[in-house]
Amino acid sequence: MAERGSTGEFSGSLTSSTLPPPRTRIFKIIVIGDSGVGKTCLTYRFCAGKFPEKTEATIGVDFRERLVEIDGENIKIQLWDTAGQERFRKSMVQHYYRNVHAVVFVYDVTNAASFRSLPAWIEECKQHALGTEVPRILVGNKCDLQDSIQVGTDVAQQFADAHSMPLFETSAKNPNSQGDGSCGNSDHVEAIFMTVAHKLKSQKPLVLSQPPGGSPGTINLSRGRDDSGDGGRGWGCSSC
Amino acid sequence: MKRLKRKKHNAGVEVNGERSVTREPDCGRKQKLAEIPQALNSDPVDIETLRRAAASKGGLLTDELRRKVWPKLLSINVYDLPHKPGRDVRDNHKDYSQVVLDVRRSMKRFPKGMPAAERAILQEQLIDIILVVLKCNPQLHYYQGYHDVAVTLLLVVGERMAIAMLHTLSKYHLRDFMDPTMDSTKHILNYLMPILEQVDTELHDFMIRSEVGTIFALSWLITWYGHVLPEFKHTLRLYDFFLASHPLMPIYLAAAIVLHREKEVKQTECDMAMVHHLLSRIPQDLPYELLIGQSQELFDQYPPSLLAKRAALQSRKSQSISTFKAFQLSTLHQRPDSVLQRLTKAQDSTTSRHASRHSGLEAALPRDRGQLWGKGNRMVKMAVWGLSATLGAAVFAVAQTAMDWGPEVLLQLF
Ligand SMILES: Nc1nc2c(ncn2[C@@H]2O[C@H](COP(=O)(O)OP(=O)(O)OP(=O)(O)O)[C@@H](O)[C@H]2O)c(=O)[nH]1
Ligand SMILES: [Mg+2]
Repeated sequence: MAERGSTGEFSGSLTSSTLPPPRTRIFKIIVIGDSGVGKTCLTYRFCAGKFPEKTEATIGVDFRERLVEIDGENIKIQLWDTAGQERFRKSMVQHYYRNVHAVVFVYDVTNAASFRSLPAWIEECKQHALGTEVPRILVGNKCDLQDSIQVGTDVAQQFADAHSMPLFETSAKNPNSQGDGSCGNSDHVEAIFMTVAHKLKSQKPLVLSQPPGGSPGTINLSRGRDDSGDGGRGWGCSSC
Repeated sequence: MKRLKRKKHNAGVEVNGERSVTREPDCGRKQKLAEIPQALNSDPVDIETLRRAAASKGGLLTDELRRKVWPKLLSINVYDLPHKPGRDVRDNHKDYSQVVLDVRRSMKRFPKGMPAAERAILQEQLIDIILVVLKCNPQLHYYQGYHDVAVTLLLVVGERMAIAMLHTLSKYHLRDFMDPTMDSTKHILNYLMPILEQVDTELHDFMIRSEVGTIFALSWLITWYGHVLPEFKHTLRLYDFFLASHPLMPIYLAAAIVLHREKEVKQTECDMAMVHHLLSRIPQDLPYELLIGQSQELFDQYPPSLLAKRAALQSRKSQSISTFKAFQLSTLHQRPDSVLQRLTKAQDSTTSRHASRHSGLEAALPRDRGQLWGKGNRMVKMAVWGLSATLGAAVFAVAQTAMDWGPEVLLQLF
């Protein structure tokens, strides 16, 4: 997918198509997790910059994208927002696991069952050849609902460690002030997806063409996202 | 789209009226307004005319007519509707939380001006009607999108009739989607590309090369477009059409839509994401009447049996397709409502409820149907009356439907 996208004669809907701009690399990220954990809200927030007033059940797969600039390079981030209901996974969503560059697992911190489903989702990914070699992150959503938390940070962190994934706790609804507001003033959801993008950019063999420019390991969130001062630590947000 | 000689197919949706109706739309309307009541009053009910009216330009025109014709299209006796579900319908159902989650998120489906409190009542009814049908049919499995079908019915015909309609649709038209897995649904989706191939090989090949698959049409198919159309009136128009058609018709419409957007598609980057992105979004201004006509033409030219042969689709059996003939037969011998009302009343007083009064619903119901649907009935009844005094419209709409049918139905409603 990315190959075709980046060598393409023109690049899709976001840029006009007369002359190919300096080829835009595409990072394809699939977002999975139980129904209702907030996958649609998270992807919508990242791509549209706000919490959707009304989401609806996702039937099959929805697709959202956003053009970002990382270290001076234009990158298109494609988010595949999948249906959470189990029956869609097996025969439907399959198709969309192909050529995925990164996986975002989402659970709902106010819903223990959604956390307990994670092993099944991870297994599902493995079956589609998306194992540990593909960047994977774990996102606990709905941190704004401080009073109804069912999944503590400790247990989530343990789980994440066991599966060698970074953990992010956040809220699609109110990503700027979670609980005690320790996450500063940056849009946390944005930071999460940007982190994945940085990780992907720093991975050499991933997408063809020019060698990645950014120095691996440095989380340099463009668009002034690192101004909250706690750069690398901010997304952990262990407050909730 | 090239035209082959059109042959009549047993789907019964022959494309008549196009000649005259397109030129003089008002004439068609007037004609329909006269024809439909006549067809309803014939004994047996003139189902062919009703189907034709539902499929041809403009569809069934008004919600009032829909409330009368929709039940006939599904062979439902409006004098023998299921009772309102009791509270216990929500107890221990495996799909309960998924249904609630989906219904609570379905605000967009309700009319914009509707007061929140009223919508909330309808949403509760929506949960109940879905669960009651599922409970009566343990072999049916809820899918996300089923609620989009249910809400369309609820908004037009009210709770009890919606239960009856949803029940019949689930056993026939939607049956394949309600298997434990989506394999049968995928099979139905597999009819899409062969249709495109017949009409526009270039487009077909382009889509194959892009590896777009058919999931972009999944929500179209399993919600009868209810999930994706911004305007409710268009959804209703399509429901008229689909209720009168073969269960595969939504796929033919999907093909017509893709063909209609052929240029756009071919101009898109030949890439899964791009093509999926383009196609999954339904444009605001689709010419629905035109597309409906085209899907009928496609259906007549390339009926499912022919596609199945050409595209080796036979391997899997579709329950919706295989039961369709029987379903259609069951619609042929319906009595008009004036007769039904008399018969139903008489039968109620003389024979037991188990006597098969009409084909679909009754036969499939468990013996304790009355119990299941009846419990808590009085409570709900009182609640509804209480609410109607303050909230009006939603309940009133239902009551009005009932008025059309006479006091008998009104009594049944509450
Ligand atoms: N309070 C709060 N509610 C949220 C948050 N994110 C999502 N929600 C709500 O949770 C519900 C489900 O959100 P969706 O984004 O539709 O869930 P999903 O994971 O896409 O669900 P499926 O499409 O069914 O798989 C909606 O009612 C959202 O408003 C959040 O961060 N905080
Ligand atoms: Mg969703």
